[in-house]
Amino acid sequence: MASKHVGVFVLFQLLVLNVVSQTSAFPTPTASTDDKTVYNRQLTEERPLQEQIAEADSVKAALQSAESKRSAASKDAGSEQDDFTMLKSLADGQKSKETTEVPVKKEDQYVPDESDSTKSRRLAEDYDSTKNGMEYDDPESFRQVDGTPLTAEDIVQKIANKIYEEDDRGVFDRIVSKLLKLGLITDNQADTLEYQVAEALQDLITKNAKNNEIEGAESNDQETRGEQDDQGSDTDAWEPPRRRYNEDEDEEEEDEDEVEDEVDRDAEEEGDTPDNTWDKGTEEGNEVSPEDGLQDLQYFPNFYRLLKSLDSEQDTQERETLITIMKTLIDFVKMMVKYGTITPEEGVSYLENLDAMIAMQTKNKLGKSLVLPDFAGPNGKNLDEDDNTKAEAAKMQKEYENLKDSTKEDQPSTETNQPGKSETYLEAIRKNIEWLKKHNKDEGKDDYDLSKLKDFMDQQVDSYIEKGIIAKDEGDTIKRIYSSL
Amino acid sequence: ASGKRGRELRKALVSVWLQCPTITRIYTIGESFEGRELLVLEMSDNPGTHEPGEPEFKYIANMHGNEAVGRELLIYLAQYLCNQYQQGNETIIDLIHNTRIHLMPSMNPDGFEKAASQPGEIKDWFVGRSNAQGVDLNRNFPDLDRIIYINEREGGANNHLLQNMKKAVDENTKLAPETKSVIHWIMDIPFVLSANLHGGDVVANYPYDETRTGSTHEYSASPDDVMFKSLARAYSMYNPVMSDPQRPPCRKNDDDSSFKDGITNGGAWYSVPGGMQDFNYLSSNCFEITLELSCDKFPNEDTLKNYWDQNRNSLVNYIEQVHRGVKGFVRDLQGNPISNATVSVEGIDHDMTTAKDGDYWRLLAPGNYKVAASAPGYLTVIKKVAVPYSPATRVDFELESLMERKEEEREELMDWWKMMSETLNF
Repeated sequence: MASKHVGVFVLFQLLVLNVVSQTSAFPTPTASTDDKTVYNRQLTEERPLQEQIAEADSVKAALQSAESKRSAASKDAGSEQDDFTMLKSLADGQKSKETTEVPVKKEDQYVPDESDSTKSRRLAEDYDSTKNGMEYDDPESFRQVDGTPLTAEDIVQKIANKIYEEDDRGVFDRIVSKLLKLGLITDNQADTLEYQVAEALQDLITKNAKNNEIEGAESNDQETRGEQDDQGSDTDAWEPPRRRYNEDEDEEEEDEDEVEDEVDRDAEEEGDTPDNTWDKGTEEGNEVSPEDGLQDLQYFPNFYRLLKSLDSEQDTQERETLITIMKTLIDFVKMMVKYGTITPEEGVSYLENLDAMIAMQTKNKLGKSLVLPDFAGPNGKNLDEDDNTKAEAAKMQKEYENLKDSTKEDQPSTETNQPGKSETYLEAIRKNIEWLKKHNKDEGKDDYDLSKLKDFMDQQVDSYIEKGIIAKDEGDTIKRIYSSL
Repeated sequence: ASGKRGRELRKALVSVWLQCPTITRIYTIGESFEGRELLVLEMSDNPGTHEPGEPEFKYIANMHGNEAVGRELLIYLAQYLCNQYQQGNETIIDLIHNTRIHLMPSMNPDGFEKAASQPGEIKDWFVGRSNAQGVDLNRNFPDLDRIIYINEREGGANNHLLQNMKKAVDENTKLAPETKSVIHWIMDIPFVLSANLHGGDVVANYPYDETRTGSTHEYSASPDDVMFKSLARAYSMYNPVMSDPQRPPCRKNDDDSSFKDGITNGGAWYSVPGGMQDFNYLSSNCFEITLELSCDKFPNEDTLKNYWDQNRNSLVNYIEQVHRGVKGFVRDLQGNPISNATVSVEGIDHDMTTAKDGDYWRLLAPGNYKVAASAPGYLTVIKKVAVPYSPATRVDFELESLMERKEEEREELMDWWKMMSETLNF
């Protein structure tokens, strides 16, 4: 399924960026300049485009050879597996050019540290969306209130908030069903996500209940649970939340108004903070201008180049969209790694491939259209050749026949056959003309054109003589008959 | 073609052409060893052109020069089709409009001359059989049976076995010029169905001709055994002599134990290596059977009318068999034809390939099939088809290239992003 391809593609792209950012953002036990150098050498923008395209091509070639060697990865869906495997081997193909150090180092670096949420925040900063000059209230942006891009926890939190605000569990269902449909998450992950959202929601409720003496979820929660059961979620996992919900449910409360107020307040806050985020962004020591906020994408020179190519006004929207897509991908891939769907190593591989794939796509876009191999081959070519040789052969045969005829004894019989032949041919031609007359009358066409027919037949006769199909005297006989009509 | 009978053949063909010039064309595929033209009369509504989707059919006779009945029958057939067409016979009109029919009355004109030149009425059993070089043309084709049997055991291609066909043929000194010409012909035109006409017995013979173990008699089924039996029967059933279960064998001691309903598997009858029939099936998309049409190889002229009566309906009905199975086009998403794409049928270990216009024809007996179209650089598409006896079921394929799929994924990604942001609305 294409969507599964997308999902995988998405995830790995995220991982790529994640790792790249991590090398610069995460303090790791074994981090050293050497590692960075090695890694940077891999993806520095200084590498000429040609080389990268060439590498992309060779990666593709390596893919074909590597593909056969791959064993099935331990993934859920078969087709996803194949794509996975393919991309993986693509990565391997590329990897074969690296030193062996790099993978090991990456693994060390890549331990996702769940306990320290600030780390992920820092990571996100590296490609702060605000620096790209996007409107704060752009509905397509995917950022925190404070302007930093979202993390996995943030997303869970956001969903929980949304459900709470809208008092509609349908929000979650919509999101999750779409994610499932696109193959971005598996059923298990959906369950986990549900659980996390439920927890977050519960916290929210509890917090708000404490703050505003609001207790209890609405009857939505019961529906929620029912729907969750329908989704076939792990009932065990659900036990705790359910129990909690039940307790809260008993203590129904009003104050949805207050909730709404909170919502409004939040919205206002959001509206108030654009400037803050801008400031914050610059305060955080990123000395580059919004334009150069893309500097961190130097690890993805082709993506960078693609963005650069979208520098006209009508491309702005697309450009921004692409940037936010990239960032969102990163966040989601982090989430996938967190959920243990993919190993960090695999994620890294896909990240590495991301730019290569962008190179390929860019190349295609640049007008190097894919030319199908020329299968026209045998039929067309051979016929031409055959016609040539046949014409040659016909000429030779004519000469040969002339020679033969002069010596063979059936020379006289040729002459005596002539009247017989003429009769036969005349008979045949007459039949044709009769048929033409009748046929044209039946079809309501105009009467056949004798002179046209004669011309056509003369032409054919000449062609046949040339090819050695009929002898010259036969041809003359035929022409004579036609001219006599 | 020089020589008296050669001129008569030419005269007959030219007469048909003169009578029906809009639906016929005479051409030559090459020369015999002694320089006689290997003439073909083509019949279709657009002679000289392959119309995309229109199946190509051929009859070849007289590859053994002394087996003369087939040669005469094809001349009769040409005259018959032309006459019937002009007289408004709808079956024939349809057939000619929807098929491109090629008739080669004599593949071995040199041999024929030799056989015909014998004095007296009784012709020798062997004189004129081989070509002017003494080559038996029906043992002269590259032996692809051997290769397919190896591939069956060890894995390998199941179709189009002659690699680098043109080169292999041109450089092969063992091939007679008649053989070479026919091989080129098979390479040039995407024939779908064919039969080659012989004499000396009365039966419809189908692949494989060469036995797998090398024994002299052994049923040697091809992957399309079911279809071939159906095709052979389609001929024999309209020939009262061929399909007569009470018919005594041509010669007292003949072993016709393998004949059933007027048909026989080649290997079961007797092993023939290097034959033209199997060569067609294993080097191209063409299904060919061998028709033995007379106990007497070179009977008297006055018997020809009888033979024509016996075979007329069979000859026409067999041509109609080309309109069976599935057929269609394989194209890319932009509608461009993909030539040399592979069309495979689940359960039948023999694949077809598409011709220049992306068109293909896959003969199949009635049943339910899964048909797949594939080509390098494209994603394979599989379709389920219920195939009746006839006519052919049209099944087209649109193949997505791998690059397109990647592009599609990118677009889906953008859509997903839009959806996400709309849903979450942050």
